[in-house]
Amino acid sequence: MRRLLALALASSLLAPGRASGDESEEARLRARLKPELATPVIEVVRSAAAQGLPTAPLVARALEGASRQAGDEAILEAVRGYAAGLAAARRALGSTARAAELDAGAGALMAGVPEDSLASLKRARPSGSLVIPLVVLSDFVARGVPVANASNAVLAATRAGAADPALLRMRERIDERILRGEAPTGASREGLRELLMKTPGTPKERGSREPRERRQP
Amino acid sequence: MNGDDRWDDDARAAYQLPIEGEEQARDRAILRLRRESAKRRTGMGAWWVDPDGLRMRPALAAVCVLAVLVIGAWSGAGWMASRGVRAPRPSIATLPSGSTAVTFVFRAPGATRVSLVGDFNGWDPEATPLARATTGEIWIAQVPLEHGLHAYAFVIDGRDWAPDPSAPLAPVATFGRRNSLLVVGEDQAL
Repeated sequence: MRRLLALALASSLLAPGRASGDESEEARLRARLKPELATPVIEVVRSAAAQGLPTAPLVARALEGASRQAGDEAILEAVRGYAAGLAAARRALGSTARAAELDAGAGALMAGVPEDSLASLKRARPSGSLVIPLVVLSDFVARGVPVANASNAVLAATRAGAADPALLRMRERIDERILRGEAPTGASREGLRELLMKTPGTPKERGSREPRERRQP
Repeated sequence: MNGDDRWDDDARAAYQLPIEGEEQARDRAILRLRRESAKRRTGMGAWWVDPDGLRMRPALAAVCVLAVLVIGAWSGAGWMASRGVRAPRPSIATLPSGSTAVTFVFRAPGATRVSLVGDFNGWDPEATPLARATTGEIWIAQVPLEHGLHAYAFVIDGRDWAPDPSAPLAPVATFGRRNSLLVVGEDQAL
């Protein structure tokens, strides 16, 4: 009984905060967007909130579009597309995924990374955060690494037990190679090979082998 | 003049007599010194091992050391600047609210104004101006950020949007140009 009372009290304390947070987001949208754009954007935001999706990335997309002086249609399309991306990311990463993971996952999915790749990443690191692996994956795609190669590189590194700092170093090395003029595909392959050679417990010859996931991108 | 005086005069006169072969001996000594000196210089890199091979005035040595230090510092700063380094690690500080202070550094030659935009300030180009560093091309701002994933960009002179060259890029260019990504509150800032 005491637990129930405590739960009820906590809910009553949290509820106004949640509501004020939503109101704050809507107020920001109304302050920055034209009324004819603010209304449909807020509808998308409310729908996302009802599904339990994070709404801050959607508000951010709308405000970014306004600051970049994008057209109303482009802004609305971006917000709707990101909401769909967040929903897809939750399908792939599971209902326990944190807001930052869903945000990063949505970006990766919108860049063409298949949901299967996100699900494979989740299986490779079931309890740890996937934010940095997803950000590294997104960066590879942004720099021209084909989606399949980028997914395979991050997945193979994560399966090998590479921690976040190692993934960050791999990203930096691959970016440097691409800036020096290497082809993104070769750069990602070399970056992965270097990481696997240095990852403790990884057989050295595995680094020169194609990642197993390559056959099922 | 007594006998002692005469003996002194004879001795003085004897010391003043020219010694036979003295001129030749002096010439030989000079020649030998020249050869030794020339030999020391001709050795390849001999001054690395010869204790007398490198001579320098203390003041000149001090100037050389100072020049090396200045050139090294200048080169290091230039390298950092050329990378457009966002350097959160050296100046990261966990704030009481659970957020983290992140220092953004951006190189923008010729810019008169640079600001930081991101989801943390509503993408408002007026909200977070960067301060110009003493070097003139480097712009800096320190911003408290909540833990999580942040997208951001720099705005140069109020019109040109540019990503951070040292940070991961967002995978999609939603409104024309890609943003940079920053993760705060994982093991470390990205």
